[in-house]
Amino acid sequence: MFAYYVKVALHNTQRNKVLAALMVLAIAVGIGASMTTLTVMHLLSGDPLPGRSQHIYYPQIDVNPQSKGREPLDMLDYRTAMDLWSSDKADQQALVANSMVKVRTPYSTRPALMLPMVSTTSDFFSMFDVPFRYGQAWSKSDDASRTRVAVISSRLNDKLFGGRNSVGKTLRLADSDVRIIGVLDAWRPSPLFYKVRGGRFTDGDTSAFYKKTDDVFMPFAASLEVNAGNFQAFTCWSAPDPNEDLRNAPCVWVALWARLNSAAKVNAYRSYLQNYADQQKAAGRIKYADDIRLRSLMQWLDFNRVVPSNVKLQTALAFSFLLICLTNVVGLLLAKFLRHSGEIGLRRALGATRTAVFFQCLIESAIIGLLGGLGGLLLTLFGLYLVRLQPVAYADLAHMDVSMFLVTFALALATSLLAGALPALRASLTPTALQLKLL
Amino acid sequence: MQIRFVLAALRKHRLATFLIALQISLACAVLCNACFLIVQQVHAMRIDSGVDEARLGTVKLSGFDPKSANDFNARVVDALRHVDGVQSVSVISGVPFGEPGVRAGIGLDPDYKQFGGVIDFYLGDDHAAHDFGLHLISGRMPSPDDYMPVTKFVPSNAPVLITRTLAEHLWPGQNPLGKQFWGLDTQFRVIGVLDHLSVSQPGGSEAKDPDWSVFVPAIAGPNLAGKYLIRAQPNDMPRVMREAREAALKAAPDAVLDTDQSHSLSRLRHSYFESARVMVKLLAGVVVALLGTTALGIVGLASFWVTQRRKQIGTRRALGATRGDILRYFQIENFIIVSFGILLGMLLAYGLSLELMRSYEVPRLPFGYMPIGAAALWILGQLAVLVPALRASAITPVEAIRTL
Amino acid sequence: MLEMRDMSKIFRTEQVETHALRSFDLHVREGEFVTVTGPSGSGKTTFLNIAGLLDTFSTGAYVLDGQDVSDLDDYARSKLRNRKIGFIFQGFNLLPDLNLFDNLDVPLCYRRLKRAERHQRINDALARVGLASRMKHYPSQLSGGQQQRAAIARALAGHPRLLLADEPTGNLDSQMALEVMDLLQDINRAGSTIVMVTHDPNLASRAQRNVHIVDGRVAEDPADGTIRPRPVEGTA
Ligand SMILES: Nc1ncnc2c1ncn2[C@@H]1O[C@H](COP(=O)(O)OP(=O)(O)OP(=O)(O)O)[C@@H](O)[C@H]1O
Ligand SMILES: [Mg+2]
Repeated sequence: MFAYYVKVALHNTQRNKVLAALMVLAIAVGIGASMTTLTVMHLLSGDPLPGRSQHIYYPQIDVNPQSKGREPLDMLDYRTAMDLWSSDKADQQALVANSMVKVRTPYSTRPALMLPMVSTTSDFFSMFDVPFRYGQAWSKSDDASRTRVAVISSRLNDKLFGGRNSVGKTLRLADSDVRIIGVLDAWRPSPLFYKVRGGRFTDGDTSAFYKKTDDVFMPFAASLEVNAGNFQAFTCWSAPDPNEDLRNAPCVWVALWARLNSAAKVNAYRSYLQNYADQQKAAGRIKYADDIRLRSLMQWLDFNRVVPSNVKLQTALAFSFLLICLTNVVGLLLAKFLRHSGEIGLRRALGATRTAVFFQCLIESAIIGLLGGLGGLLLTLFGLYLVRLQPVAYADLAHMDVSMFLVTFALALATSLLAGALPALRASLTPTALQLKLL
Repeated sequence: MQIRFVLAALRKHRLATFLIALQISLACAVLCNACFLIVQQVHAMRIDSGVDEARLGTVKLSGFDPKSANDFNARVVDALRHVDGVQSVSVISGVPFGEPGVRAGIGLDPDYKQFGGVIDFYLGDDHAAHDFGLHLISGRMPSPDDYMPVTKFVPSNAPVLITRTLAEHLWPGQNPLGKQFWGLDTQFRVIGVLDHLSVSQPGGSEAKDPDWSVFVPAIAGPNLAGKYLIRAQPNDMPRVMREAREAALKAAPDAVLDTDQSHSLSRLRHSYFESARVMVKLLAGVVVALLGTTALGIVGLASFWVTQRRKQIGTRRALGATRGDILRYFQIENFIIVSFGILLGMLLAYGLSLELMRSYEVPRLPFGYMPIGAAALWILGQLAVLVPALRASAITPVEAIRTL
Repeated sequence: MLEMRDMSKIFRTEQVETHALRSFDLHVREGEFVTVTGPSGSGKTTFLNIAGLLDTFSTGAYVLDGQDVSDLDDYARSKLRNRKIGFIFQGFNLLPDLNLFDNLDVPLCYRRLKRAERHQRINDALARVGLASRMKHYPSQLSGGQQQRAAIARALAGHPRLLLADEPTGNLDSQMALEVMDLLQDINRAGSTIVMVTHDPNLASRAQRNVHIVDGRVAEDPADGTIRPRPVEGTA
């Protein structure tokens, strides 16, 4: 029976090729536009640490003595960060500060490079599941003894050492020699979550959150010595002396990431934070002890509205466009089914049930939908290709994955069935006698 | 005359009519908002930076020892001055469309009780105000003794040039000359008012208006080093910049040249608005695709109606309708449907605009866009229906007899 | 009223040329009631279409109401058709999207008549065919006979000088057919010239004059005494 429906449907579709082509085109274009933007959206709003992110937390304390009890600053000052880190209350934790560092090698005369460096602590790599190609991360004792070692990105390794194992080689950072201890494998979290901050001040232009990973990673304390003077504050509550060490400045510039493996741990950590804040308030260092935050990674990303508003806007536009294509197809299908209404009446007169007519029409729509989905898939691939040509930080991420591939067809089919349902209902509900009269 | 019949016939085809009208209304809503967004982006891209962009370029060096900044500045400035075609070189803290420079919140009193907003500070040495080509509208340019060394981020108690827009924001209706404001742990005194001087990241920073910036005269030194402004003839700019980059590196071999920032201002401006341009192209693409789909939809449905009504049209012709009558019938029909769609579309456009305002920090759609969108769709509808309508009018009265 | 001289109509398709009318001569005087009979495919409808300015002819001359219509353009033909000619089609040809009232209103509107007059005429015409109570009905809500009468009413409302009817009784039972015939004769008495194509010899016999067409030619016409020998079947 189903095969028969499909046969008739195929025949009907072929009967008016121009109309069928028009509908397929409308669906394909609508699907192409919305799937392109949806794929980008999906890539940008995804979880950068799938399976882990629920255990990763970002503690904040309102360290600004001038705070008016609003949202705490996005980072911590040096003292608070060090206090929290040294207390070692989390399952794993890492300090993160960022700077630009001058990089040279003793092996070549190529001009120095200014590259982004992450100053962090040893847990960073295991906590964030960072893959290594050569060597490994530094140890906790390296953190404490301020060992001058570095982990570099595979990109930098390719650039400086032609991709060969560079573990043990020396890198000249600022004016100090640092030994390479590890080389990362390809690692491209989207967004670059450990650098996400200040999203609410960007006016929606958050594409910088999707930059590639940093090139140099160094033990926190050692890097402060090596790259002294090149650290920038995130913000300050009063003007710091630019010649003074940032560690004593009235500024926030250090982030702390904590891994808390269970709800009980999260609660314990929260009360620890609260205690700490209360203590500091009592000591007169901070003013608003109640303004603590302990957001999970995904909450933190949400709070920073990481998906660029341009992307959201494009997605909204694409879906309104799809809606327009949809009404277009509904209109054309209606015309098509009603045009055949004489024939439908005849079929009904010859004993076809209302349901049979309805399904016949739906299958016709589904065929259009599948063809449209195929076209939409090609257009989506083309659309993603165009996105990759754009000068945006996330351009290289724009690729179709399996789930989006399936969504494309589901969307096309859903669209066409939705478009077909109304006209099909209309065609199957028209009284037979009337249809025959119109014949 | 025919309107009555058109309406009567449409009433018989309510669903189909409603569908086209719905499509038109959605198109109208998206069209109005997309056009508005395009105009906004284009407007943002047209911003007057207040400086002589075509004649300016900038070179940024980093990775040098701040302790030797004075010597460093002297070496680089000297090297840049000797580049063929360079008219003038100054040490500055930033340029419009470059990376963010000094930015801070200011207050109208020492205790910041009256908050003035977050503004950009452009620091420059004694050549900079002239080199930038700042356009003074009242007050005076800094005199030689206005230039002072930078203590923290700015010189303390510095005289400043303020933009007209910022002055009007801080002291509405008053003469800003001689007024004071506080920020960065010091105070500033207004000595002149500038026509324009845009912030370094117009549209992207916390400044509510792209013109919220001031120029602060300063003396190059440890806290003002590494960024240089080059002035040259516009047509010379590409070559001068190329040679200036080389000269700077040669003069300071151990420093790192910032290749993203060391360009002519025209080029910095071009790359600053790259994403806006992409967005404009995309929006324009959406508008075109939208109009195309809508037009195709109208053509498709109208063609269908024409085929479906061949006999009717023949009958009308037999009853005395001229070709013009038939043509007009379809045009009127289209006009009515489109008008209905536009009516609905205006409401939708407004709703969409409110939603955009809420989610994407976009200003409200001005009402002026609605009639433009409406006119565009009316014209589109009439053009789209013309082909099927002409085909309809070519149907001969004999068709009435031949049963289909 | 209607004068055709030596008229021919040739349909050309890719393979064949059909001579639907050949050296066709007919003169219908003002106020006459003429029926046209003939075998199927003999050219009756073709003749009626040309008479009603729906179609053009290949050669010959046609004078309608004292006016030579051979060289008129489409616009003038439409206007002439609208003012002088009423049609009753074989297949009713009511407009399905409009109710009865509007169906009758369409040709009157094309004539740019005043509203009051149009209403008057429509009411009169519908009353005359006994459909006054069905004014708001759509064609699909009427029986075949009612649709036929509505089609007649539409022609009536235009007060045409010349009324052309193509088998107006083809779909009706004999009783109904007679009623329609009576109606047409009434109209004829009121001053309209009528040319009616029919297959029904009974009806044909009730007309003043019956023209018989065979093979695109007038074979019998009592008015000028033409009686041509009927050609042998299949030689055409
Ligand atoms: N548009 C056309 N193209 C080609 N041939 C045509 C066309 N219209 C009519 N004919 C041919 O002209 C001849 C006359 O047709 P016409 O319709 O006038 O016959 P009729 O007398 O009305 O027949 P019936 O009684 O069956 O209605 C037929 O042979 C027909 O095939
Ligand atoms: Mg016939």
